[in-house]
Amino acid sequence: MTSDEALMLQFQGGSTEAFDELFARYREPLFGFFRRRLNSCERAEDLAQETFLAVIRATSRYEPRALVRTYLYGIALNLLAAERRKQSKDAPVDSSPEPAVSGAPYAVLWVRQALQKLDPSEREIIMLREYEQLSYSEIADLLRLPLNTVRSRLFRSRMALKGYLESESKPERHVAAAEPANSSKEHEARNDK
Amino acid sequence: MISNNHPIEQEDLMAYLDGELSTDRAATTLAHLERCPECQTIASDLRGVSRRLLAWEVEASGPRLAQSIANALETFKPEPGSDVKIARRRWQDRLDLRRWSRQTWGVAVVSVAVIVVLIVGSIPMRRYEPGLRSMSLPPPPPNIPVNGRQFDKLDAFIKPQDSERSANTQTTILATPGDFTVGLSGPMIVRTAALALSTGEFDKARARLDDILKRHHGYVGELNVATPVGNGSTFTATLRVPADQLEATLADLKGLGRVESESQNGQEVTAQYVDLEARLSNARNTEERLTNLLRQRTGKLSDVLAVETEIDRVRGEIEQMEAEKKNLANQVTFATITATVREDYQAQLQVVPATTFGRLHNAAVEGYRDMVDGVVSTALFLLSYGPSLLLWGGLLFFPARSLWRRVRQKLAQ
Repeated sequence: MTSDEALMLQFQGGSTEAFDELFARYREPLFGFFRRRLNSCERAEDLAQETFLAVIRATSRYEPRALVRTYLYGIALNLLAAERRKQSKDAPVDSSPEPAVSGAPYAVLWVRQALQKLDPSEREIIMLREYEQLSYSEIADLLRLPLNTVRSRLFRSRMALKGYLESESKPERHVAAAEPANSSKEHEARNDK
Repeated sequence: MISNNHPIEQEDLMAYLDGELSTDRAATTLAHLERCPECQTIASDLRGVSRRLLAWEVEASGPRLAQSIANALETFKPEPGSDVKIARRRWQDRLDLRRWSRQTWGVAVVSVAVIVVLIVGSIPMRRYEPGLRSMSLPPPPPNIPVNGRQFDKLDAFIKPQDSERSANTQTTILATPGDFTVGLSGPMIVRTAALALSTGEFDKARARLDDILKRHHGYVGELNVATPVGNGSTFTATLRVPADQLEATLADLKGLGRVESESQNGQEVTAQYVDLEARLSNARNTEERLTNLLRQRTGKLSDVLAVETEIDRVRGEIEQMEAEKKNLANQVTFATITATVREDYQAQLQVVPATTFGRLHNAAVEGYRDMVDGVVSTALFLLSYGPSLLLWGGLLFFPARSLWRRVRQKLAQ
């Protein structure tokens, strides 16, 4: 299989097929990256699109110094930061960066709520590790943090998340307001316990 | 919290589960994890968190994303001369002193210092060793075309002393040429020839064979000499000569005696050589990838061991293919001649003057020898067949005696 870097260099040489392959590889991962961090599905698509367009526009300046994956997520993180700044200006009252939770299974709700309780920097690290499957060094490069800091924060956040998830899954701690109207039988059974 | 009984940190444990530990550290962590219940609990917790986080899945992106990128690609055109710009920018970046790191500065300073030392050091050499440049070197050995190619270092691996030693000791010697490479400018042909000769001057033929090999830069691969009683001597030699010297060597060898048979063969191995090189290149790439994988990635110990086993296997294949390649190149560069030289045997009539005493002595010796042979033969016969004869004799004696008595009575009547 051709490496991402080789595809990028081929695209730099004018091969649109190479970019098609790159797009196929990173389309869903990048959309998932934005989707887990934003409320709007449309905005997630827009920003994923913006990421790829930024790559196309900056093709001539690309140099294979780092992995394409790091390069893409670096652009995505910059776009996400800009989006959050824009959201905070437009709607300062509702500044929650987390996506809406209605209609999702309870396991997902608990995960989101537990993640929400983490410190933002720790949350970003654990999400990059768990969902984007980035290595410690890639996360350190992206967030410009020392490798040991990434490691210690990741461990801390995982341990904290474990505690949050255990407490979230207990019936008495369920947030009634977050429950959808058509709650499942499984959840009802848990409440009955 | 890690107690003193734990040789690893909890973060190491997490890094091990994430495949982020070095190989040796991963092995230590695994060994500890297998026997430490406390760390097993932590590992289980960490795995549980990751498992629960994976419950959050997002929907697939819509077709709008692909459509917009397709539209953008349609209007995309690579910037003309982008390669030149990139190269120019890289050089500008490299020459920009403000962007240099401490390491770069260090390398630059050391390089300048080394250059200065070399320049300064070369001055006294020129002053005190004026004859160095004018010293005449021995002329290089002539380039000998090998199979249509020039091979500069042929003399380096020709070992005439091997053929000398083989001729003197009359034992089997396998000469081993040194390392060499063969270019692929033409077809690669393995040439072999067989020549059978008979000569009346066997010893001279042996000596001239050595001279022929020296003259054509060949060597003896194997040499067997046989001198049977009542027959002529024979030697069979496997000779290796440069491929382009084959015809000339054969012509000289025919001068050793009368040609009884001759055959030549040429086998093209270009495709085999090219295939071998391609497989060798692939195997080397595989080994490099596996080595990089082992160096950069960590995981379970069993995975690491599996990669190491695979590396061992690939390394074995590489060494085997390199040997095959070297052998093939050797066969192409050097033609093989199997020469058999037989001595013309002439049976000689030997007349021995026999005296009377000698004849009597010989007759007495032969008579004594025949007597001993007869006694020994009889003893051997009795020992071999005696037991069977006694057994059958005992069994058949009484019936035979009874039968004989009846017959005698009838004859008497």
